[in-house]
Amino acid sequence: MVQPKLKSKVRCTDRDIGEVTRVILDPISHDISHLVVSLDGDGARQVSMEHVRAVSESTVELKIPSSEIAALPPFNRGDYVTTHEVEISHLEDNLDVVPGEVLVPLPDLEKDIKRRTFFMNFTHAIGFLIGLPMVYPVLRYLMKPMYAPFDNGWLKVGNVGKIKQDDIGVQFQYKKTVKEAYMPEAEIEKSVWILKATPSVLDQIYQGKDQEFRDSSGKLIWTNKKDVPYVAFSGKCPHLGCAYKWRQHKTLGEVFLCPCHLSIYDAAGKVLDGPAPRPLDALPIKVAANGDVEIIDMEFKAGVKSQIRIM
Amino acid sequence: MRQPSVSNVPSTAVEKIVAFLDQRVGLKEIQAKMLNEPIPGGSRWAYVFGSILLFLFIMQAITGVLLMFYYVPTADHAYASTQYIIHEVDYGWFLLGYHFWGSSAMAVCVVAHMSQVFLWGAYKPPRELLWIVGLALFGIVIGFGFTGYLLPWDQRAYWATTVGVEILDKTPILGDFMARFLKGGPTPGQLTLSRFFVIHVMILPAALMALAGLHLYLFRVAAPAGPFRGTPEEIKAKTDYFFPRQVWKDIVGMAVVFAAICGLAFWEPVVLLEEATPDPGEYHPEPEWYFLFYFQLLRLKMFSGEFGQFMGAVALPVIFMGLLVALPFFDRDPERNIFKRPVALISWIAMMAIMAIFTVSAVINREFLD
Repeated sequence: MVQPKLKSKVRCTDRDIGEVTRVILDPISHDISHLVVSLDGDGARQVSMEHVRAVSESTVELKIPSSEIAALPPFNRGDYVTTHEVEISHLEDNLDVVPGEVLVPLPDLEKDIKRRTFFMNFTHAIGFLIGLPMVYPVLRYLMKPMYAPFDNGWLKVGNVGKIKQDDIGVQFQYKKTVKEAYMPEAEIEKSVWILKATPSVLDQIYQGKDQEFRDSSGKLIWTNKKDVPYVAFSGKCPHLGCAYKWRQHKTLGEVFLCPCHLSIYDAAGKVLDGPAPRPLDALPIKVAANGDVEIIDMEFKAGVKSQIRIM
Repeated sequence: MRQPSVSNVPSTAVEKIVAFLDQRVGLKEIQAKMLNEPIPGGSRWAYVFGSILLFLFIMQAITGVLLMFYYVPTADHAYASTQYIIHEVDYGWFLLGYHFWGSSAMAVCVVAHMSQVFLWGAYKPPRELLWIVGLALFGIVIGFGFTGYLLPWDQRAYWATTVGVEILDKTPILGDFMARFLKGGPTPGQLTLSRFFVIHVMILPAALMALAGLHLYLFRVAAPAGPFRGTPEEIKAKTDYFFPRQVWKDIVGMAVVFAAICGLAFWEPVVLLEEATPDPGEYHPEPEWYFLFYFQLLRLKMFSGEFGQFMGAVALPVIFMGLLVALPFFDRDPERNIFKRPVALISWIAMMAIMAIFTVSAVINREFLD
């Protein structure tokens, strides 16, 4: 059915009664539900679309007599808002009540332009060419500090005189001077676990072979001899990088236990329980005649089976 | 220029100013458009969480900007400047506490908002994009929590970041690069702090504003879903506009959340641990409480070893988020009533139960660590 137009004459079964001044939309269906009919000199009424028999270009024919229309309650503008004052999306999509289309002329310069698509693509291409040379410098800019060479310097961490018992993890806290990028030199606190291992534990750790440490070019830095009883474990848990402790466990006795995700290691660093994927990481250790201990502070990637050095 | 939408002639000075602005900006039309949005089936308390999240974000932005007046994002001053805010600056403890507890409130309200949408079946067509943008916003809120946690540069901050980035590191192929990229090096330090700071105060707020704007726009285009049962006539009969009933419920919800955050800031003030350093001493690293369930989950035997860790740290969260993204596309049944969607109802209950059980067991576990 053609939609009723504004200003259309409204005709009842008996006579013309006025004209359409407004239409009312159903907020759910978005269809016209009522017409507001201005009666000649007698206010306005809202007439349901159910009463409409036919709609033509300039008239709306109703199924009911004028007396029924006149008997309807007067139209109350305050019960409604305009479509500009309410947020119902697509409300006017299937609405065509204005008399024809409302048009605005194109500016002269916009008439008969043939290559709109070309200009659109050209715009995108230039935008892309502006962005392109930025990608690599920005990426390099942000990546600058990501990969640092390894520091293979020896650090004094204490004296083994502190260790009173064999096969017991003893924490050595030490200060390390770091110089990061533009920052002034700063001291950070780190810790390493050192134990004096009995031959059986040593054998578990070294499995009968000296342990060699190499730098990134493959050059030998240090060898932990398999018969030196002092072993240093990096303080970093190989699971997700927390710091573990030496603790009494209910059933497993004295163990290394990580409070984060509850990985448990024995004195040789072997995983007894919990999520850790590999044993504790032994570090290069050097014990002087007077008992002073030095280590090379290495860190390995957590969460992987193999030891991958990251610093 | 737009015609004023109200035709009565302004008389008082205020009315003249309003009319002047309205003519140039179209204020009244904007206001009308914002407030006159039909809510099918009428306003509800269940619908308050979206507005509350917007409120929470605005308050986080305000308190965050205020904190930046004193906070210095460097490894040698971050801790001291945060302590200065807490102990020296008038009401610094309050603004920091508000910002801290506000982030918890945000996590809670995000889960509540997502649950409401899920239970009401409001993610279903035609609201797929609205749901997906919402999921992106969820990711941003998590990112805010994670990056903000490092900034005080105390032990809690340092270790949560250390472990959190290690989790990211477990991503196949790209993990090592992403972790180093985020840390600005192999281990957490000054450059990590700088990066987290920029992400927290510039990148995430910009992303959140853009996506929240898109979220609201898509919400308005799609229109509210309304209740999940009732005939069209019943729903139509109960329909009201966003203003006043829903706005009233929203503002009451905001007031309750505001009071709760103030109370927490007052009675549970932020206390820093020792300054960050790679030796935690006696501190047992733990993430913020709303990440505890996941932290506890990673303790499970099934997530042990290299493969188990990949499953727990990468596969599990990626699959979970992937399922949520795909949800409106494979759940094509138009039925929205949660009591007629047993799989959805059971999944939601199971998810909440897992979160509750694992959070509680993480708390219980604390006792056995000393």
